Amino acid sequence: MLVTGIKSKPVYAPLQADIRGRYHLMLGMGVGAAPLLRVIAEMRAASEASLKYTRVLYVPGAEAEQFKTAAVSDVQIFAGTPALLESFRQVLAQSLMGTRLYVAGPESFIGLVMKIALEFNLNKDEIRAEECGSLARRIYCIHCRATTEEVRTNIVRCVGCERWLLVRDHYSRRLAAYMGVMVDAEAPGELPLLKEVFL
Amino acid sequence: MSDAAQTIAVEVIGIEQITPLIKHFKLAPVGGGSLPVFSGGSHIIVVMQGTARLHKNPYSLLGSPLQLDSYEIGVRRMEESRGGSHFMHDSVKVGSRLEIAHPVNLFGLDKIARKHVLIAGGIGITPFLAQLEDLHGGGIPYQMHYSVRSSEHAAFLERLQRREGERLHMYYDSEGQLIPFETLLATQPLGTHVYVCGPAGMINHVIATAKACGWPDSHVHWEQFSAPPVGDAFEVFLARSKISVHVPPDQSLLESIEAAGVEVPYLCRGGVCGFCHTKVLELDGELVHNDHFLSDADKAKGKSIMPCVSRAHGKRLVLDL
Repeated sequence: MLVTGIKSKPVYAPLQADIRGRYHLMLGMGVGAAPLLRVIAEMRAASEASLKYTRVLYVPGAEAEQFKTAAVSDVQIFAGTPALLESFRQVLAQSLMGTRLYVAGPESFIGLVMKIALEFNLNKDEIRAEECGSLARRIYCIHCRATTEEVRTNIVRCVGCERWLLVRDHYSRRLAAYMGVMVDAEAPGELPLLKEVFL
Repeated sequence: MSDAAQTIAVEVIGIEQITPLIKHFKLAPVGGGSLPVFSGGSHIIVVMQGTARLHKNPYSLLGSPLQLDSYEIGVRRMEESRGGSHFMHDSVKVGSRLEIAHPVNLFGLDKIARKHVLIAGGIGITPFLAQLEDLHGGGIPYQMHYSVRSSEHAAFLERLQRREGERLHMYYDSEGQLIPFETLLATQPLGTHVYVCGPAGMINHVIATAKACGWPDSHVHWEQFSAPPVGDAFEVFLARSKISVHVPPDQSLLESIEAAGVEVPYLCRGGVCGFCHTKVLELDGELVHNDHFLSDADKAKGKSIMPCVSRAHGKRLVLDL
């Protein structure tokens, strides 16, 4: 039932340091700390200088302590994703060309970060993202436009209109959400078996 | 493609010598009517029947994209002309008829940029004149940096000053003024795009400086039409057409193939667009790559060539044409 093979589904790759950039902005959530710490180690090996222009925004996770020992001077820890995103927007507004963005965390976190990066016209060659942690999706209801968070199942009841939605692979970067389409529109009440698929 | 190959008959309705080296031409469709719609940064190919042979040169459209009763182009008289720019300067009069190809844009503005920095050297101002028409009043911040030899060489200066005011930054070589590339590129806000058109040295310098300042490739745009360089004469065999073609020193490979009656798809004729990309089937000798399209790795492989500006020397060259 899940519509697969859709090209809009984002593909992520392991983070790598890009020392061609002059400034490095890292955003992480939870287990996303590990890839960021790996990039910081790569940078230290390649060019100690680039660490001077590295800034980390992070929502913990148990790993918050590790950044303090990673010798990156500018680390900000946030209580939650909304606070981090608010600060991220302010940082971008003051950032200069030559900035590289590194994002690590659950897909829904990456999506929210990318949505803001897109507003600032950051292109693919300025952003790297590594997915780690939960695969839970943000689902945008194409009928009532409400977004249902933390969706782990193949179908979900919309928080807005309470329709049963089929969770598709069709992804919108602008909305940072997968599309949800009413699943029993043709045959009311006929629902596929509810299964946990995005763990 | 067939559209691009189809030409439009135009009449020269105005000529103005605007600097010692640059003439400004206005071209209107023969029989009136409207010319095709274009966007800022587009160029046309002007087809000129010279005494010795046909010239096909790319020129940027510099008029407003909203005004389609005529096109405007600026032609710089090249010192080492292969004939095209001298023909435009010396033989074309008001009332002359020319053929032009449909506009093609290889130098468009990024539509979602947050800021545009435009950099021109000399005649390189022409594509920006039309782009500025698009940018004017659009609400996206931009700057125009324009470098010229001296004030007498500053083409379209009045038009620019009148419209752009403080967004125009002029640099005169004669006064020792240089564009501060390093400072300019190191201080731009995120989401800025830089565009450069001018002499090869300037373009290369902007590309290198942007890279050094950490700019990603996708934010750096440039356009330079190379005139096909003169080289040694050589022979080429066209495998599919089964004919041998002689390429004289002052004629390009593309022109020679066309003169032999074989059609090759093209758009820019200046080594930029990649449209005339042709497979090399056999080579005994070496290719002289003069284009900006193939990567260095592809150039080294010697498996393909851009016949609009590139040549060969050696014993044998066989192309998949």
